[in-house]
Formats: sequence, C-alpha cells, structure tokens
Amino acid sequence: MVNRPPGKKLALLLVLFTGVLYSNAQHTSPLRVKRGTVKINLLNRVKEAPVVLDSSEYSNPFNETYYISRLKYYISNISLNNTQQPFTEQGSYHLIDAGDTASLHFNLDAAANTYSSISFMLGVDSIKNVSGAQSGALDPSHGMFWTWNSGYIMFKLEGSSPASAVINHKIEYHIGGFEGPNNALQLITLPFAAPLQVQPGKNIEIIITADLDKLWQGMYDLKIAETPAVMTPGILSKKISGNYARMFTIKEVGVL
Amino acid sequence: MKIKVTIGLIVFICTAFIFIAASEKDKDPYKPTYLKLEIPKGWPKPATNIFAGNPLTEQGFQLGKKLFYDGRLSKDGNFACAGCHQQFAAFATYDHDFSHGFNNLFTTRNAPPLFNLAWVPLLHWDGGINHIEVQPLAPLTAHNEMAENIDSVLKKLRKDTAYPKLFKAAFGTTLINSQRMLKALAQFTGSMISCNSKYDKVLRGEAVFTAAEQKGYEFFKLKCTGCHKEPLLTDNSFRSNGLDVNTYLNDYGRMRVTNDKNDSLKFKVPSLRNLTLTFPYMHDGRFYTIGQVLDHYRNGINTAQPTLDSLLKNRIAMNPREKAELIYFLFTLTDTAFVKNPRFSLL
Repeated sequence: MVNRPPGKKLALLLVLFTGVLYSNAQHTSPLRVKRGTVKINLLNRVKEAPVVLDSSEYSNPFNETYYISRLKYYISNISLNNTQQPFTEQGSYHLIDAGDTASLHFNLDAAANTYSSISFMLGVDSIKNVSGAQSGALDPSHGMFWTWNSGYIMFKLEGSSPASAVINHKIEYHIGGFEGPNNALQLITLPFAAPLQVQPGKNIEIIITADLDKLWQGMYDLKIAETPAVMTPGILSKKISGNYARMFTIKEVGVL
Repeated sequence: MKIKVTIGLIVFICTAFIFIAASEKDKDPYKPTYLKLEIPKGWPKPATNIFAGNPLTEQGFQLGKKLFYDGRLSKDGNFACAGCHQQFAAFATYDHDFSHGFNNLFTTRNAPPLFNLAWVPLLHWDGGINHIEVQPLAPLTAHNEMAENIDSVLKKLRKDTAYPKLFKAAFGTTLINSQRMLKALAQFTGSMISCNSKYDKVLRGEAVFTAAEQKGYEFFKLKCTGCHKEPLLTDNSFRSNGLDVNTYLNDYGRMRVTNDKNDSLKFKVPSLRNLTLTFPYMHDGRFYTIGQVLDHYRNGINTAQPTLDSLLKNRIAMNPREKAELIYFLFTLTDTAFVKNPRFSLL
C-alpha cells in the first residue's frame, strides 16, 4: 500500500470541490456578454398635452372633443439595431397602461454595443395569439384578450365624446387582429439622432413620445360621429392601426 | 491514523454533499406523475399537440377536474363548467337547446359535447377559439353564462384551503394565476377521449353490427362521411348545411369571426359520436330528434342559400327504410363507458 501524505488528498478534494463550485457558478450565469441598462420611458400625449385620464378634454382633427378614460397598448419584441449584431430583448412583452405609471417605463438589459435605431411591435406577435394561456404582461386578466374570438387587443382607447351617439356618449376603440389581411400588428422603427452606445455601468434613458392625436387620421379618417366604437379584428381595425402606428417619436436620449 | 482521519474527512465531505443535495431536493419536492395522451388504435395523430406547452400530469389533470366541477368559477357560485357540460350527456347540456346561465339568462348557442378535443383545432361553433387553454375564458366571462371575471375567480381560489396545495402539486409552487388555472382545465378536458362505442368495437373487430346497422353504415359511408369523416366523425370544417338563419338570434356563425360573407351561416361540422345523448341538435338546438335532422337533409335544406355546402346542393335522398337503417347505425355511436368513466366524474 502506498502511503501518500493525506495533505495531498485533501488538496485534491479541495481542488475538485472548488471546480464543482466554479462550474456551477458558470452554469448559472452564462451571460458573458457585457451589458448596459437602457431605460425606456413612454410619454403619452395628445399633441403637446399629457394624457390625463377622465379629466382632460382633447379635440381630434375633425373638431370632435373627447375624454380618455382608459388607454392601454402592447409594445413587444423590442430590438436595438445595428448592421452587425442587433440586440433583441428576450420575452419582450410590455403592457403600457396610462392608468398605471409603473407601466410607462421599464429597463432593457442590453448587450454593450453601438446601435442606430430601436424597433418594436405595437401589439402582440401572432405566435402568442395562438399559443394558449399566457402569463405576465400577456395574462388575459389585463382585459386585453378577446375571449370569443381568440386574440389580443393590441391597442385600447376608451372614453367619451359629445360626438358619440351611442350609450353614455361612449367611445371604445379595441384594435387587434393578427391573421392575414386583418393583421393589425405594427412594426415601429425609430432611428437615433446619434449612435447609441450601450456600455456597462452607463444608464441610458430613451424618452419616447406617443402622440394619440395620430389615432384619428392617416390611413383612415376616424370620425367619432361615424365610428364611436370598433371592437373586433377586421379591415377597420387594421386601418386604424395604420393611423396610430405613426404616433411614436424619440423625444430625447440621455445618460442618467 | 492519518489515513483514518483522511478517510473520515472524505466520508464527511461526501456525506455533506449528499446531504446538501438532498436538502436542495426537499426544498422542491415537485415530482408530478407525467401522463401520455393515448391515441386510440387506428385514429390519426392530432394535428397539433395540445399539451406541447402544458405537460400532462396526473396532478394537473386532478386540479383541472376540481376546477371543472367548481361553481366558484362563476359569479354566484351556481355555474360550474360541469353545469352545462354534463358527463351523462357526453359533456353537452342534456335535453336543452340553450343552456341556462347567470341571472336566468339563456346562452345563444347549443352547448357542444366535450370529447376528443385534442383533434379539434378550432373550438366553438364558429371556430372563434384557437386554443383549448383559452376556451374557458369565454364562458367564464360571458354575462349570460358564468358572468365572472378572472381576478375574482383567482381570489376565491387563493382563499380556499385546498387549491394552493393542488396548484403546488400540479405546477411546483402554490402560485395561483390564470395561466395555471387554464392549463389545468385544458389537461382535464383535453384528456377526455371517447373511443368505446359499438362502432369503435366493430372497427376494432371486437363486435359486429346487426344487419340493419351494417346497412345504415354502408349508407353513412356513401352519403355522410364527406363532412362527418371517420373515425372522429367530423372533419372539423365549417359549412352551411342549409338551415335558414334563426331570425331571433341572427347568428351567422363563422362570418362573425372572419368578417367574410362567404362564411355566412357556416358552423362547425360536429362529431356524431354520442349523438343519442347530445340532443337537441344544430347550433341553436332547433331539432329535437335524429329523425328531424335526417328529414332536414332529405327535404329541408334551403338550396337557394348562396353559401350552402356543395355536397348538399341536391339534398340527401333517402327512403324511409334507409332512414331507419341510418338511425340504427347512429345509435351505435354512443359510448356508455365514456359517460360513466369515473376518471371524469366528480366522485
């Protein structure tokens, strides 16, 4: 029997033990890419005025006045783009709710790189519309899912207007639809004025304005007196999505 | 001595490792019993795997069953899923054209039976539901059915003493959310397979048709399988069978979903399995007997209807003898074992 000094065995064990710990540590943090934080901040506006639910009166391009009582829309599949290595957020579904200030800003944990534009979908991609029960931002309890005709409401604006002849002068625009000619999903791309440099330890903020005044015109003249409510997917939904697709602009990019 | 110490140390460290590993496991004792959906012999594979994102487990199935039979999913506690989907009626509403919902309201369509849903790509008479998991949202929130909202149901389930444990057994933690509730319900309803009627036994060589049933089957294969495709007895398509619109409901079927006028008055071709238990028939339950249904195909079809299915342009000719034989055959489609299967029963 070889009489090895026990110290060696102990050392070997320690090495093995450390090795196991190290590989575990590596296993739990596979993200070796350097990352930086990009805060997205959304400002809902009607022209210059901030969206204030229930109390502010607005006027559309057809001189119809209205109030907004509820405003919700989905932003999904966010990417920061460049020609070499764009960054795409994983599980990227954000429900923007004017009644919930916490929903108006969120952080992207983006790969460190230089980017020329940000793009996202206004709405929920078709895969998530056909894949059964979802959770988080896509939980149907948020009231953004059509129960009788499966699919997400991508944009919802509710309120009232003297121009509306329906019950309680209501206005209700529930816009969605993901199939074929009725696909109301809008891909938005907003270029940065100067290249965006994401670096570790640097917190960038992108302030995006959403001008709801765009809802009424563009692809289709949406007049409250004629159409106070749209609550189904279809050609009309799609046309209206073409209107509001133009509502986003980058107001400011800054370092926090 | 030194060797002993070393061995002792090694044993100690190894034990410690095992102990740590074991205690890690104790923290997460999630060990569900995985199940496999059995495809009956001779049946096609389901077009889509409804359990692809929802692994079927015994614990998930049992949770789904409890939810299915629980009235608390409705606003006033009176309308469980099972209220309108009764097992003894193959999970349709027995003897009702329209089911009854909250506040003495009627539904607006005949409740379809529930079975073999893994083979049904689009649910509801108009195909408006694209996934089994999201189907319960429709009756749960409809004002004339269960009249509830999701958050309120979840609050009730969270307050219950049994549900958190059942959700943990099914999904690993006590978290109760809509996704888990819906997935559990899908595990229960998606597992309902009806494949033991006399017709099935004849196909498997375990039984023989009587002479009349056999003649009815021959007629059926000649005139009916264009839509009621074997062995599921539906092709899951949407067609107009020449019914005039119900002027009270003005229900134009699939057109409501697609906004396409070519889909006017088209409804899903229902499976004929368990036919004797699912009367009355059609989307609005307008026919109470199989005889009335067959008379519609013989001489009731509105052949002037623009969207009428091409297979029915000349109606379906059958003499009284053929009609009787066809009915004898249709009687063989009842699966008593399914409607009495305790696996799908509350008790």
